[in-house]
Amino acid sequence: MRRVTFPPRPDWQDQVERLGFAFHTIDGETYWDESAAYAFTLEQIERDIEAPTDAIEQLCFAFIEKAIGNDEILTRLAIPAAQWDFIRESWQRGDRNLYGRLDLAYDGKGPAKLLEYNADTPTGLFESSVVQWDWLEQAMARGALPPECDQFNSLHERLIAAFGNLREPSPYRLHLTCVQNSNEDKGTVDYLMDCAVQAGLDARFSFIEEIGLLSDGRFCDGANQPIETLFKLYPWEWLFRESYAKNLATSRCQFIEPPWKAILSNKGLLAFLWEMESGHPNLLPAFFEGDPRCASLSPRHVRKPLYSREGANITLLERGKVVDSDDGPYGAEGFILQDAAQNLFGSAGQYAVLGSWLVASQACGLCIREDASPITKNTSRFVPHYIEA
Amino acid sequence: MKRSTQIGLAAAGVVLVATIWANSGDDTQQQESLVYNSLAECRAAGQLSATQCEQRFNEASANHLRDAKKFTSTSACETEYGAGSCRSAVWNGAAVVVPALAGIMLARSLSQGGGAAQPLLPPTQQACPPGSQAQECQQARSSSSSSSGSSGGYGGRGSSSSRAYSTTSGAALVARSGTVSGVSTTSTTSRGGFGSTSHSFSSSSSS
Repeated sequence: MRRVTFPPRPDWQDQVERLGFAFHTIDGETYWDESAAYAFTLEQIERDIEAPTDAIEQLCFAFIEKAIGNDEILTRLAIPAAQWDFIRESWQRGDRNLYGRLDLAYDGKGPAKLLEYNADTPTGLFESSVVQWDWLEQAMARGALPPECDQFNSLHERLIAAFGNLREPSPYRLHLTCVQNSNEDKGTVDYLMDCAVQAGLDARFSFIEEIGLLSDGRFCDGANQPIETLFKLYPWEWLFRESYAKNLATSRCQFIEPPWKAILSNKGLLAFLWEMESGHPNLLPAFFEGDPRCASLSPRHVRKPLYSREGANITLLERGKVVDSDDGPYGAEGFILQDAAQNLFGSAGQYAVLGSWLVASQACGLCIREDASPITKNTSRFVPHYIEA
Repeated sequence: MKRSTQIGLAAAGVVLVATIWANSGDDTQQQESLVYNSLAECRAAGQLSATQCEQRFNEASANHLRDAKKFTSTSACETEYGAGSCRSAVWNGAAVVVPALAGIMLARSLSQGGGAAQPLLPPTQQACPPGSQAQECQQARSSSSSSSGSSGGYGGRGSSSSRAYSTTSGAALVARSGTVSGVSTTSTTSRGGFGSTSHSFSSSSSS
């Protein structure tokens, strides 16, 4: 694993905008950053990223099996009791999932370590699947990289295939939704909608604010069309606490991601995984705050709220002192403490966190986000990667 | 290969094709695009899915009639494109004669002006004069006279039967089907006119 600097394409904005990539610059700051790229060997990708990602997914499934029958675990995860049956049924029914992203610390040496699992509403998908792919093709075409390079990225193909298999019979009608006023979320959903159309689905978009409830208990879109299958780029923990929460279980709607993802999209998962598999090479020691075993953590550790997105409310502590933190609205449901990763890739004053993508529970892609601080936030820059020839 | 082979984006109207055939040629020419002579050949090559092949050929056929030079008689067309290289068609309600579709070419990526498939026509008489012994010209002639053009054996390697074509803008081109074109007898800037056609997926633009 190396960080390689490259001159950006002189017309890189035009090149990425041609793909429909609208949020390459966020609040005036570069988000898509092709002044550097990360190079991996095929062995690093397959042995250190792909295989552990698949293994962690299997570990997560084993945890769900345990959690759905255990009220204590569901309570610790701060999942409202009223939704437990809804979650259990989705797992027992075998509701299929579309995608997720494991965030990993990895420096090219030794095993990657799981920082967290964005199992429910991961973003960064379009730039991972399409923009960095095209960046590599162009780099090879103009000779900036040898033509035998590759990339860990079959996201596009896997997403189309997965959409076709989420529900039977297929093709089916799919609604997609996200919040208003988020270019990044809308960009992600637009891309997924494109994939769904290519899978042959009848795909329709509604903002989540537009969703209504029909008299027969089903949800409907802004045009009053009933919603039978809904891709929602909107966290389960919020859906569980809003006024339609009581209508979820009776809506006869298949949700993507499925309700059982609520068990994984929770930092409490990290403590439970460590409890299940202490010493696992791809896990960092982690405990719920207040657990006496927290004393066994290293002096440098991280405090994370159970629910947090894009680094919000995460604090890096060194012997009790705050080294880095990010403000935010999360934390009411409690915290976990996790050892700080020793193997975060740092170079040129930048920290890199790997995002290892799963589609239909199979590892199939990689993205790298860089930040000047060890906590990856929503201001991090997306840097492309390639596999060396 | 650990990356996608092709990315189509309806909203942006682009199709991107990976350099999966980068190693299928035996020369060091800059490899620029992928050529298929027929739908069957595209399917047999396996680099695109059957559906994708069909989409690409449909695109190219539509563009072919629109962009190809129209003649009022078969003899006028054959004077320019050679015997057996033309067919009649109806364009805007009028009977016309156009050079027949000889194949399609997919630009590899946006940097080459990618997007929809480009129709390929038989070579002009200027590029391949009657009786030319050039291998690419003989290949083009035999393909057009046998009218199927399917010669089998497409895996790229082995068969190095280069074939001459022309583009709708009149440029000459030589390519091995199923592999790459690179030996163009005119400059590749002639492809500047390709690819702006919006891709033929039904639009999925937002709300």
